[in-house]
Amino acid sequence: MPLTFIDIEKQKTWRIGIFFLILLFMYFCVTLALVQGILLFIFPFHFIKTGSFLLLERPLYLLVIFGFSLIIAAMHFWFSTSNAVKSVMDNLGALAPDPDDGIHRRLMNIMDEIHVVTGTTRKMQCMVIPTLSMNALAVADLNGNSAIAITEGLLSRLTRSQTEAVLAHEAYHIISGDCMEATVATSLFGMYAAMIEKLQDFGDEDRRGIYPAFLIFWFLLKLSQMLNMFISREREYRADAASVRMTRDPLSMAEALHLISRNWRGSGLIASGLEMLCIINPQEIELDESEGFWANLMSTHPPIQKRIEILLKMVHVSGKDLEKKRELESEDPLINAIFKNRLNQTGKEFSAFRCPSCKQSLFEIPYEKTKVYQCHYCGGTLIENTKIPRIIVRREKKCTERIKSLAKAVTIDNQRKLSLKKLKGTAMDNRHLTACPKCQNPMLRTFYSLAYLIEIDRCSICNITWFDPDELEMLQCLIENKMTAKFDM
Amino acid sequence: MGWIFIAVFILLFFWMIFIYNQLVALRNEVKNAWKQIDVQLKRRHDLIPNLVSVVKGYMEFERDTLERVTTARARAISAGGIREKAVAENLLTYALSRLSAVIENYPVLKSNENVMQLQEELTSTENRIAFSRQLYNDLVANLATKIEVFPNNIIASLFTFQKAEYFSAEESDKALPLADIGIRSK
Repeated sequence: MPLTFIDIEKQKTWRIGIFFLILLFMYFCVTLALVQGILLFIFPFHFIKTGSFLLLERPLYLLVIFGFSLIIAAMHFWFSTSNAVKSVMDNLGALAPDPDDGIHRRLMNIMDEIHVVTGTTRKMQCMVIPTLSMNALAVADLNGNSAIAITEGLLSRLTRSQTEAVLAHEAYHIISGDCMEATVATSLFGMYAAMIEKLQDFGDEDRRGIYPAFLIFWFLLKLSQMLNMFISREREYRADAASVRMTRDPLSMAEALHLISRNWRGSGLIASGLEMLCIINPQEIELDESEGFWANLMSTHPPIQKRIEILLKMVHVSGKDLEKKRELESEDPLINAIFKNRLNQTGKEFSAFRCPSCKQSLFEIPYEKTKVYQCHYCGGTLIENTKIPRIIVRREKKCTERIKSLAKAVTIDNQRKLSLKKLKGTAMDNRHLTACPKCQNPMLRTFYSLAYLIEIDRCSICNITWFDPDELEMLQCLIENKMTAKFDM
Repeated sequence: MGWIFIAVFILLFFWMIFIYNQLVALRNEVKNAWKQIDVQLKRRHDLIPNLVSVVKGYMEFERDTLERVTTARARAISAGGIREKAVAENLLTYALSRLSAVIENYPVLKSNENVMQLQEELTSTENRIAFSRQLYNDLVANLATKIEVFPNNIIASLFTFQKAEYFSAEESDKALPLADIGIRSK
């Protein structure tokens, strides 16, 4: 293992050459097939007479076609990879950090520190993705541009040293050339992936004819994906190790991984082609968490638990201690700016349930003289069904103007939705169903009643109800003021 | 027979060139890393007057803490030579960590946006110094290994390659056991 990062930078990234060869091969096959087809179409009689006009038998033609496909492949390669960083960042909606923002300024400082510790002369940009999900990714292209993107949710919830560890991890990916391969592969073959997905959609109808022509693309795409995945798993371990070598702080890295793995990682937001660039796979896949030959071959990320264990072994801390520390930490009001107010309410008891959307522990809090479970991040509430009537009739909590107007708007909107549903006979909205915090089965999404059109999620097994933020207050307000829905149908 | 000797000689010659170039490259990297430390130290020196002037108004009772920072800075700027510099800089680190500990005790200062910003800059600078020092020491260790390893040591002594000095100040670290507290946290 090289001692400094200057050495790593010098290593050649030979695999990019392979990608180019794959691309060249693809274009060669396509051009050959196309030219052959045209010739057969134009000179059908000649073909029938001589019995052979196959290009494969004529080296000169083959050479011309090869040259042609070389030019095309080079152009494709150049156009799709030269500005990959910008296109990926645009795709994610990432922005440059805002120098007037305290936390962003801290990020810029940390980025400079990373430059110092790696001793690299190469400029790595840092970007912020404005989303509440928690993830980070690195992108590099052949122009020598590289960027590390971190989501707002992660940036705000990590401490300084944890952010440092995450950025060091990503910086290693850039310096070692890992992410150049991944970026090149994504930008080269991502186009085809989209094309194939579209064709598969059409497949059921009349366009089945084109499909075989793209079979080769499909095959090569899968091959390159597998090549990437095979590499990727090892390199996450290596990047973790490198991060520790840079910051000399394994605990922060472990804490950061732990924190990310327990939250929404941005699945659905980060396109599937980019998942291999992320610090933790945005999708929670069973395959990632398992070991064995097949998992090693196909998965892009190693099991998080194992990564954390390796890091913790360095500081002689067990996983249990980390868990304890994290629970305490989320009580620390300094952690983040966004969730500051909600985190400030300390001294509450944790419950065994987790918020279905934020995956944070719910707190048991008093509400209208009884007890409910509430999430401090999103403000959603979990209530046993037997307690709902009590809460509704009690009038201790006054209904504010904001809730009132919100309730009105929501009722009107839901009324429209309901009418449409009746007309069309299908559900209009196909958001994911919430999983019950108690039994993990999907909850039933329904209105509280047809008179009070507030959407709730109900688990009929555990007899509990989940209210999204403000929904409970809105329901109370509607019932209190007798604002029933009106039907014009 | 003669051909073999010539071939071996040529091979040996190229091998020597290779080793020599490697050593030169490493030596330059070490030099560059040392310059980088200097850059970061300079950054810290420039930051201190700002911090002191902002904090001064609020801290009537902590005159000597501030004074210690200022004198340590002056001493660090005038220091020459690796060892002397290391001692002076460590003193400055210590003085600064005392200052941040004091700032923590003043709620007025902690709520001051300007002070917090400067403190963040200071934390960042301390990290940069630590990191550049880390890189420098890694490279020095690298160079030392390259020079001392068996066949290389012949060439190294032939062309008088010397090991570089580590940037550490054990004496001052022992004298000031609290040197790093408070600055790198958070």
